[in-house]
Amino acid sequence: MDITHKVSNSINIIQLGGRFDAHEVAPVVAWLKGQAEAGKVNLVVNLAGVNFIDSTALSTLVQGLKHCREKNGELHLCCMQQPVRVIFELTRLDKAFSIYTSEEEATAFQA
Amino acid sequence: MSYENYKNWKTKAISGIPHLSIVIPAYNEQERIVATIGAIASHVSDLGFEWELLIADDGSKDDTVKLVEELGLVNLRLLKTPKNGGKGNAVQRGMIASKGRYVLFADADNSTPIEEISKLLAKLEKENYDVAVGSRAVEGAEESNKSFLRHLLSGGLRWIVKNVLRINVRDTQCGFKMYTQKAAKELHAMQTIMGFSFDLEILFLASKYGLRIAEVPVSWVDAPGSKVDTKKEIQRFLRDLVNIQVNNFKGVYRRM
Repeated sequence: MDITHKVSNSINIIQLGGRFDAHEVAPVVAWLKGQAEAGKVNLVVNLAGVNFIDSTALSTLVQGLKHCREKNGELHLCCMQQPVRVIFELTRLDKAFSIYTSEEEATAFQA
Repeated sequence: MSYENYKNWKTKAISGIPHLSIVIPAYNEQERIVATIGAIASHVSDLGFEWELLIADDGSKDDTVKLVEELGLVNLRLLKTPKNGGKGNAVQRGMIASKGRYVLFADADNSTPIEEISKLLAKLEKENYDVAVGSRAVEGAEESNKSFLRHLLSGGLRWIVKNVLRINVRDTQCGFKMYTQKAAKELHAMQTIMGFSFDLEILFLASKYGLRIAEVPVSWVDAPGSKVDTKKEIQRFLRDLVNIQVNNFKGVYRRM
């Protein structure tokens, strides 16, 4: 999986690409843990490059969201490809997350 | 990619004969089935033809059936059974129940990404093959996360299949195969093996009766959560290989 990091509007963003499944969650778990340890509670996960997401990866994002909200923050998702959007709908996780069509919207909302 | 196409497939029942049926065998797949259905529904709805999805449950003891029933997808048919009859049995039930002009069997873990479907469909639609087999063993295929042990075993089994059963397909076990409706019904009606090596019997029968088989390179990911016990499956594979030879000798395989 391709992973890049960036900061925009003081919000830390992780950009993911490829198949996001149980084989690939470790670096994302580590990034979320690093953000928590650094006290960062407003985060964005950009899924623009992700074409498939499995239940382990979904669970990782849910854990990240839960941790951010416990600290009065948010974890926003953005730029989903259609298959990933459909998977979020079918699992009803689209109701749990704030999902945006662009990175700008996802970060501006929190700024 | 159009979300409208997916929404139409999700809510409007198809009226005529579907162009394609997709059969997914499922046994205790509560962790993986919904994501796979989502990926398939999103992609195939955009291909411009009517299609149906069949989930052939194999007597799951977890929440697979409940999760699939709750999705509310009108062109999805769930085939239920109280007993665990084996993967081959689930695929057979799906193939017999399918209505499409072409029928794809795909594994529940999306280990061969559904985006590969067009390659197989083109072989049947445009080049008049009867069977198109997704293959990890021909030039152009890509494999990810496959262990050295699985590589070694695959190589050994391929040698046996080629030299004992005389099947001219290098990868008999990839869970991504497409048939014409006629081939699907005929071959699966003769099927006697209900475990994981049912593919071997189906391809043996396809070869025996002179059907045209295309082997198509696909990308494949060793998806997490596999339920295959490699040691047991090799033993069964070798036993089934002998059974196929015995059945053939006894004249068990008769074309309807």
